[in-house]
Amino acid sequence: MLHRRIYQFLMIYFTGFAALMLVKYSLDLSDYVIPGFSEIWSACRRYFGLYLLAVLNTLSIAILGHVLSICMATVVGIIGRLTIWIGSFIRVAAYNIQAYPIVAVAPIIFILLGDGLSSRLLIAAMICYFPLLLSIIGILSEPVSEIEHFFESTHRMKWQLQVKIRAFENIHKLMTVIVGSATLAMVGTIVAEFIAANAGIGYSIRIALYQSDLAKILVALFLIGICTSIYLVFLEWLGGIIKERIGSI
Amino acid sequence: MQRQLFHQIGLPTVGMILILSLAGCAPEADKPLEEVNYRLKWLYNISVVGDLYALDSGLFAKHGLAVNVKPGGPEKDAIKELELGHAQFGVASADQVIRAVSKGSPIVVIAQLFQTNPMHWIFRPDKTPLKTPQDLKGKTIGITHGGNDETIMRALLAKYGIQESAVTLFSVRYDYTPFYQGKVDLWPLYRNAQAPIIGVKLQKAGERFDLMDPSKMGIRFVANSVVTTRKMLEERRETVHRFIKALLQGWREALNPANKEKAIALVLKYNKETPEEIVRQQLPATRILMMPSADFEFGTIDAAAWQQTEEIMLAQKLIPVRVYVEKLLKPIGK
Amino acid sequence: MRFEINELNYTYPGSVRNVFQQLSCQVTEPGFHALFGPSGVGKTTLAKMIAGTINEFSGEIRLHQMNHVLYTYNLERLPGWSSVLDHLAQITPASNKQRMQELVDSFGLETCLNSRFVQLSLGQQNRTNLTRYLLQDFDLLIMDESLANVDESTKEKIILKIKALYPERCFLYISHNVAEVSKFCKQILVLRSHHKDPQAVLLQGQDFNGRQSLKVRDLEQCMLEIVNAA
Repeated sequence: MLHRRIYQFLMIYFTGFAALMLVKYSLDLSDYVIPGFSEIWSACRRYFGLYLLAVLNTLSIAILGHVLSICMATVVGIIGRLTIWIGSFIRVAAYNIQAYPIVAVAPIIFILLGDGLSSRLLIAAMICYFPLLLSIIGILSEPVSEIEHFFESTHRMKWQLQVKIRAFENIHKLMTVIVGSATLAMVGTIVAEFIAANAGIGYSIRIALYQSDLAKILVALFLIGICTSIYLVFLEWLGGIIKERIGSI
Repeated sequence: MQRQLFHQIGLPTVGMILILSLAGCAPEADKPLEEVNYRLKWLYNISVVGDLYALDSGLFAKHGLAVNVKPGGPEKDAIKELELGHAQFGVASADQVIRAVSKGSPIVVIAQLFQTNPMHWIFRPDKTPLKTPQDLKGKTIGITHGGNDETIMRALLAKYGIQESAVTLFSVRYDYTPFYQGKVDLWPLYRNAQAPIIGVKLQKAGERFDLMDPSKMGIRFVANSVVTTRKMLEERRETVHRFIKALLQGWREALNPANKEKAIALVLKYNKETPEEIVRQQLPATRILMMPSADFEFGTIDAAAWQQTEEIMLAQKLIPVRVYVEKLLKPIGK
Repeated sequence: MRFEINELNYTYPGSVRNVFQQLSCQVTEPGFHALFGPSGVGKTTLAKMIAGTINEFSGEIRLHQMNHVLYTYNLERLPGWSSVLDHLAQITPASNKQRMQELVDSFGLETCLNSRFVQLSLGQQNRTNLTRYLLQDFDLLIMDESLANVDESTKEKIILKIKALYPERCFLYISHNVAEVSKFCKQILVLRSHHKDPQAVLLQGQDFNGRQSLKVRDLEQCMLEIVNAA
């Protein structure tokens, strides 16, 4: 039985694919504009393995960037929660940096870090980090008075306990944000590769675009979708285990 | 009596003839302009100066056309727009054209803009002296994977029997830092649009630069050309004629040294980001690539270069089978 | 052990309406007292002022021999990650460990100990919450509707137990139940709307402790006085 996320992706992908074919054959467009079945099939046979490795390469960077972002957002979220002005400063800064188009910031990153792993990682983290940070700051700054009141009035409240209470009470929100930002991490990594890197599926897409080869892009999109869905399924499974564990502590 | 008769019959008749003939002329003059869309290859810059000139000087209008000159860009593909009916004319590079035709795209080439491909490689002659193609051996050469600079460089290496293992191919992006830092010996750029900008920077840093022109080494890979659909050529041949006539006139006038100031002002009008001193250097560089001599007939399609381009693409397996590119070349301008 | 409030004035932030205007009152001895009044009159606000969580007021609140003031309300929850027993064990000072079992037994919480807070009924939740406060060191405990959703007989059992266990402590019980307040409380501080003068009236309740007999007429009289005062 396929997981919900995977068959949802397959439905969306093949609906889009069918729409493309409908346009192609109803407007009698050449394979250059929209490739035909045989060309897509041949691109699939020829590039599937290569692109799968590229997607896995991208996914590994995305996961690394995602984990990095979660850790950073948690730390900054905790600091941002401490005092009102630091919290508001971090929030404003996060909004501002998030507003920068990554293509404009990327050249600076590449000058500073080169076009290797660190740049890809940083751009991926930047794209998924700020939404994560804003959500985590939001969650950690919001008091859960019905629980915290007792600890406050009996002078037992410590920052660790406060973070624990707020994180526990918002575990569903946190998991949703983390799963949601996983997609952003993948997008971020692909954008980074598209802009500059020398590896990964974003880089392959850039080459395919130079060659106006939509068949290759369709194969790449399929693999990106399926691998991202699998990662999301994994995260949801992990989230379920965490919730279960916390629930049974 | 006769005079009276003339007055009675002849004068009104002459008047009627005059009115009719005027009426016949008037709709011609007031005839609404025929609207067509023209998708460029790139953003408004020096490489489209002739297109802008034809538009701004009213040459299109003079030929009964209202042309929407639309800037191109990395995500825009004129050939796709032609097929989808969003544009009637467009600018595409030869490799795009050949690739599209190999996939069944019904397009034809009606004029060739660049006679020499603007894709050159910049290098520092003091550090990297290049006298013969064999000097490329051992060098780090920038290429855009998937781009036509990669195709040109591979063709060049193949032509001179240089194994790819004898050079280091470096994947480039829009950031020139690796070249400035000296990590890469040769960096691909557009001779007319980018070389003046990069050259200024190198000169400021006290460095000399030179440009490697693949066409001088026998690789004549065609660049931008004007394309339309076969259907357009067959069904609206007269429109195509008027368009290309106005366009080529625009280009000739834009590249005419006598119209230099007007051409520069025009580029600056549409592209406010590029400094005037750069545009001043870009214009003669563009002229060299498009008008090899003063009496050159602008827009000439170099069939031999097109065939070589096809050969290169075939050899590099960028197209599966021969498309017989000469069949697509429909030089309307002549 | 007593507290007194002198000429207290307070307006909610962002509001122009006075909640308290020259409010003065006092509770003069230890025992189980009540804070009574109609909804919206400011009982919770006054309780928070006494507990020290609202400080932006003019006037004076003086606490005599009351170093530890706690305020608890009926919507409080225990953290979701531990069982009732674990939580109580964790927050009970060593000196009160013995009392924990006694309270658990008296409040009928034995069956709840291994459960999570969310798994309890509303009444059990309120009793559990009150229990953990009673296990703290306090001089004054303000119980804001702390026994809501608890049935009458259990409620009586709990109040009588509190009175028996903590005769030297001070309680301020906020409730809307006139009969309950009249019956169990020693002093009843009736809070009235701000345009009434005085804004607070102190009445004597029956202070029933389960050992003495309760005169119905006195109880009715007391209830009448409370209703009239409010």
